[in-house]
Amino acid sequence: MVLESDLELMLRVREGDAASFEVLLHRYRVPLVSFFCRMVRDQGLAEDLAQEVFLRVYKSRERYQPEARFTTWLYRIAMNLALNAIRDRKDAVSETPDGDSDSGSVFDRFADPQPTVEERLMQVDRQRLIRQAVEALPERQRAAVILHKYQEVDHRQIAKILSLTESAVKSLLFRAYETLRVRLEPLLREGQI
Amino acid sequence: MKCLETERLFRYAYHLLNESEASQVSAHLESCPRCREIVAQHIRLDVLLDDWKAPGPRPGFDVRVRRATEAQPGNVGAWRLWGLEWTRGLALACLATLMVVGVAWYRHSYRRPFGAPAITGRPSHSARAGARSSPGMKIKPSPSGNDSEIEQTEGVPAAPGAVASWNEDKDAQALEDYDLAANFDLLSELPERASQNAN
Repeated sequence: MVLESDLELMLRVREGDAASFEVLLHRYRVPLVSFFCRMVRDQGLAEDLAQEVFLRVYKSRERYQPEARFTTWLYRIAMNLALNAIRDRKDAVSETPDGDSDSGSVFDRFADPQPTVEERLMQVDRQRLIRQAVEALPERQRAAVILHKYQEVDHRQIAKILSLTESAVKSLLFRAYETLRVRLEPLLREGQI
Repeated sequence: MKCLETERLFRYAYHLLNESEASQVSAHLESCPRCREIVAQHIRLDVLLDDWKAPGPRPGFDVRVRRATEAQPGNVGAWRLWGLEWTRGLALACLATLMVVGVAWYRHSYRRPFGAPAITGRPSHSARAGARSSPGMKIKPSPSGNDSEIEQTEGVPAAPGAVASWNEDKDAQALEDYDLAANFDLLSELPERASQNAN
């Protein structure tokens, strides 16, 4: 079975084909919700924002022009929503005494269900350290890392999504990954992973 | 040997260098344990970051999105129709076609002048066609009792074969009677009334 490209599907959505919209929804619901979960750390809000992305895609279907890749367009919408949501919630998040307070958050549920208690504790601790390190990055660096590492978007697309040049994105990624490498250095020593 | 800058090492680890640059870095790494360790740390960092899992959507997310899109103002009806199973759409289309055909057939079969009274005994198509083109005619019951015949009342000759029509301008009374004669019982009175009017 040949998978239809996002572009073909979106062009059909533009013509009023609801089935094609369903395919796009099915294809991108997990990546989008995961993206927002990492960006805003709240699953309910992440789902609301992902829904808003699909709604905006649907609303602007008639104006859709296949000039850029569909995912570039999709993540551009998502990025704007995420950054706005982060700014809106900044005060509320800063009131949280410490990032450790969410040790029982939804992210912990996705750890391997099989490990021993000790392994699980180590895994939870490692996740917390990674999350804190990524969240401590400046907004754009964090967005670039999440797109590059977790959404598997290449640096050319990231440049379009963030409205930057390609070399600026490479530098942005370097600064972000270098900061993470230094912060997570204890976990990166040989034999720790 | 002078160590490479960390950005170059990072780009090497993440495959952001072109082929010739990458081969230069590879050559340097063979003889520089410090740079090799930095590259190794970037590769380990890439693996480590995989540990940060994020949940996908909870059940019901798709339904929420569907409802939200359907609730959009200006959402075209056709879009909603797509939400139905195609068989239901087809059934609706068939029903609509049947209704249109039925109305067209009814109008074609019972066509009569606007405002004219209904008649019980349906005239033949040719008679109706002839009668329509023949003003100044008047109704005269047929001796057979099945259909009425047309009698010429003015200079215009009645269309041959016309057996039923209405003299709209000249014989309003006959029309009224004819209306009443929608009941078959009254049809028998028509000849007398017609002859009285003629006199």
